[in-house]
Amino acid sequence: MPEVSVIIPTHGRPHMLPRAVESARAAAADVEVVVVDDASIDETAEVCRALKGVRYLRVERNQGVAGARNIGLLSARGEYVSFLDDDDVRLPSSLDLQLDALRSLPEAGLIYGQALYDGQTDRAGHDRYPQTCPRGDVFWKLLARNFIPCGSAVFRRSCLFAAGLLDHSVAGIDDWDLWVRIAALYPVMALEQPVMIWRKTTPGSDQGSARAVETVTLSTRQFHRRWLKLPRAARATAALRREASRQFSKNMASYLAFEAARSLSHGHLLRAQNCAFALLRLHSRGLARRTLDGFAKGSSMHGAGEH
Amino acid sequence: MARVSIIIPTHGRPQMLRRAVESARAAGTDVEVVVVDDASTDETAEVCRALEGITYVRLEHNQGVAGARNVGLLASSADYIALLDDDDLRLPGSLDRQTAALDAEAAAGFVCGSMLMADQDGRLTGEVSVPGHPGGDAFWDLLELVFPVMPISVVIRKECFTRVGLFDSGLPGLDDWDIFVRIAELYPVAIVDEPVSIYKQPTPSSGQGSSAQARHLSRAARHHLKLLRLPRAAAAPASVRRDVRARTLDRIADTLLFNAAHRLREGSYRPAAANGLAALRLKASRALRPAGYRRLASMLLVPEAKPPRGL
Repeated sequence: MPEVSVIIPTHGRPHMLPRAVESARAAAADVEVVVVDDASIDETAEVCRALKGVRYLRVERNQGVAGARNIGLLSARGEYVSFLDDDDVRLPSSLDLQLDALRSLPEAGLIYGQALYDGQTDRAGHDRYPQTCPRGDVFWKLLARNFIPCGSAVFRRSCLFAAGLLDHSVAGIDDWDLWVRIAALYPVMALEQPVMIWRKTTPGSDQGSARAVETVTLSTRQFHRRWLKLPRAARATAALRREASRQFSKNMASYLAFEAARSLSHGHLLRAQNCAFALLRLHSRGLARRTLDGFAKGSSMHGAGEH
Repeated sequence: MARVSIIIPTHGRPQMLRRAVESARAAGTDVEVVVVDDASTDETAEVCRALEGITYVRLEHNQGVAGARNVGLLASSADYIALLDDDDLRLPGSLDRQTAALDAEAAAGFVCGSMLMADQDGRLTGEVSVPGHPGGDAFWDLLELVFPVMPISVVIRKECFTRVGLFDSGLPGLDDWDIFVRIAELYPVAIVDEPVSIYKQPTPSSGQGSSAQARHLSRAARHHLKLLRLPRAAAAPASVRRDVRARTLDRIADTLLFNAAHRLREGSYRPAAANGLAALRLKASRALRPAGYRRLASMLLVPEAKPPRGL
């Protein structure tokens, strides 16, 4: 039995896949790489056959990333599991470092780490995400914001028996949804150093903003319909839930505002407008709060400068 | 490794569960019973701990039947998978016969048996629900709802799930129809000509009746469109797809009309209206044709009419 399984769903990116697979194999001493080919119609199958030491699963009907990850889970044999996207890269020995830490705390369910932006920086000039890694009981923090890069997380397979599998009706935030359910039950650990390189939705790329509205709409629905109704949240005081709701809304508002501004600067007027409308419709209170905070910060900084 | 894993999701019905587990164990010589406790808040956990030789999985967050079945799949070790609900029963030896059928038909994705019908107290009504299908390619019949497959009467090859995907937790109540259509798209179906399980029929007047049924059938009609986009259906001539769609809507409309008549007779007018309106919305021509009225009238007069086959 391998100690850890890395599940790599792939769809029509045979040129990227070998790099992801190699990086996963080099990330731990005793690793099983499960490639789930999500009904690719190109040469992905041949590419996979040429790769050594890979368990190759061919899904005949396209499932989307979440569905493909679930299928990977079904055949993973490791006690620990990690996901990796086919265009991302794991850093050498990073899994072993995380496994050592996770083994040292048997009650912990999951350990994550930082993701590098592949040589670029985000709007604040940082080269990695997240800047600081919350740990321990992170349930409420995780409700407000997904600070766990999907490929950086390693969790016990047994957690799934208590928390459930990925929900592919929330494709796109299915990983966030799973982390929330795991964090509601188990302490979360973090290795505050880069463990992977992220290629998707890098700050310069354009694919993010088109899906921002979709993602925020889905997250908002999931937040209210499912996350706040998890036993952990339902048992908490109304004040705690309200505060979580506020933080979530503020965070979604700044995300949409940022995407709207970026679309505008790229000349995508319609996209900017969509983001702005979604912002007003879903998180106008979050926007107001954020603006007020901004003013407060601005005036205090101004004051500090005068002294 | 066991020969067949039988997955029993359960939620808050510990008294019934024990009988279901016993029946599952007696249904085969080498059976792994996987009970998935879908975050029950009662004594289900204690009842399960008292049961010997089962694999017990406890979900802390309620996942619904589809999500619980998926977790059961993850916990199961056998190459063949059977499903059971916590209030239904498996018949002795039935799993052995169905796994033998799958051994014999190496290409088949799942094997289907008959069910004995029981009332809410578990008394057999004498009625038998047979698959009514010769086996082989069942894709179109499943898609059209002429071949209703009940999850508790099948044994499925586990590899099917890695090729077509798991149960869709976004489709409560429809996830089994959905997965059997998707499996039958790629695999032939085997049949064993004998009863394999006992199904407790929900009485029309039991709580779940009401307008929920009308909503459920309307959702089925919507999901049918999605299933028609599966590659095999999409590759068929447009005329074939149109005919399949029309016949399926007829069938769903008939079921809705039947429900409407039933509710009307019971004097529950609101659900009756919900069902009738849903039928009109789906297919006004079907709901309003003279045969529809005749059926409505005959059902109002004849007390023990049988519902049309299908969902």
